[in-house]
Amino acid sequence: MSLDYVKFTPGFEKFMPKEYRDMVEHGPFGKKISVSQVGTFKEILEEHPMCAGCAMTLFIRLAVVAFPNPEDTITVGTAGCGRLAISQAAVPFVYGNYGDQNGVASGLTRGLRLRFGDQPKDVVVMAGDGGMADIGFAQTLHSWFRKEKFTTIMLDNEVYGNTGGQESGMTNKNQVLKMAPLGKKFEKMDMLGMAKVAGCAYVATVVPNNPRRVESVIKKAVLVAREIGPTYIQAYTSCNIEYAIPTDKVMEDAKTVETDRYKFSEYITDEAKDYLAQLYGYKEYLPKPVAAVEGK
Amino acid sequence: MYLVANIDTGICAATSCKLCTQYCPEANTILYDNEAGQEKGLKYGSAYVAVDRCKGCAQCVWVCDNMAKHNAIKMEMIDQIGDTALTENVTYGEKTSHATLANPVRG
Ligand SMILES: Cc1ncc(C[n+]2csc(CCOP(=O)(O)OP(=O)(O)O)c2C)c(N)n1
Ligand code: SF4
Ligand code: SF4
Ligand code: SF4
Repeated sequence: MSLDYVKFTPGFEKFMPKEYRDMVEHGPFGKKISVSQVGTFKEILEEHPMCAGCAMTLFIRLAVVAFPNPEDTITVGTAGCGRLAISQAAVPFVYGNYGDQNGVASGLTRGLRLRFGDQPKDVVVMAGDGGMADIGFAQTLHSWFRKEKFTTIMLDNEVYGNTGGQESGMTNKNQVLKMAPLGKKFEKMDMLGMAKVAGCAYVATVVPNNPRRVESVIKKAVLVAREIGPTYIQAYTSCNIEYAIPTDKVMEDAKTVETDRYKFSEYITDEAKDYLAQLYGYKEYLPKPVAAVEGK
Repeated sequence: MYLVANIDTGICAATSCKLCTQYCPEANTILYDNEAGQEKGLKYGSAYVAVDRCKGCAQCVWVCDNMAKHNAIKMEMIDQIGDTALTENVTYGEKTSHATLANPVRG
């Protein structure tokens, strides 16, 4: 893992497919790329079989663009819709058995630290709400309590999308779904609250109808996880199939849900603020001048 | 036949807000050409669609109509669209990309 792995083997360049050549020559590796530049460089996410118009697809696309160092990033996923796209990006992808993703990422993160020492390698888990809050719940929470230094991203479509519409712990109370015909009986789980209690250093909610905000939270979460501790992002990524949202109304739905019950929120510890300010120049986290603090 | 997004360069290049590009769920699909429309005296460049990657969701249409309020994108049948961009004809430069247009059905 380094810039070396995206170079051509001498003599083989002319045999590589166009998409690969574009990625090496005009991809984001080793450069500072921002979401506002999409459409002018070759993104490393390739074609994949996720449904047309899926908000989860858009979120994954934006997340991959936002990785601060894609050449030093490994993604971890599991069964569920998201892995169909995450596995098609030009960064190494590890498939954990359903629910095992945070356990796998814990081992991977520790191994990478032993192997590469101080050179940061970013591990990013992206998995569905079922895989994370139900089946993988214990491993998710344990990785946080154990302060494993990687980023966990929940692709929260509030349903088991890949298997045809069962309720998950993250489905809203009373929601009727194809395979929950009587409606869900209990409240949506407070994974954000649990992330804070379990010691995550950065926790955020986000909706992909604001691409720059997605970029901002991903960057912060990945950087904080390098040194400070576990980070958690919960993203509303609607399933237009199971919630019957017409594809041209997916962003309208995202906007409504964001205003209604998925407001942007950000929690960050003082240690993480200080680290982002000192190492990565985040001005908003620089200590305020004394005069400003005292209102003089 | 099936629908794909088609961007009116004349309308897009008048402002080139670059919004739709950030909202298409598919990567490398709505691309941006800084020089498009220059021959017509439009100076900002335009977005265009690599139709072989477009899944026809029309999310870009909603974004251009309702967020950008420019109404520059229409869904059109792939065999009715005429010459358009395909991934194999796209080249990338320093801060822009460019596509040599071709007919997606006849090649
Ligand atoms: C151990 C195990 N149990 C069950 C499954 C079947 N399975 C595959 S995807 C999936 C549901 C995925 O739902 P979620 O995690 O919410 O992700 P989504 O598809 O909604 O993105 C299930 C139950 C499996 N692959 N492995
Ligand atoms: S089933 Fe739902 S979540 Fe899965 S790819 Fe399709 S729209 Fe997206
Ligand atoms: S949203 Fe409309 S005007 Fe803006 S770049 Fe896209 S096509 Fe052009
Ligand atoms: S129709 Fe959908 S896939 Fe096609 S360019 Fe528009 S947003 Fe992208």
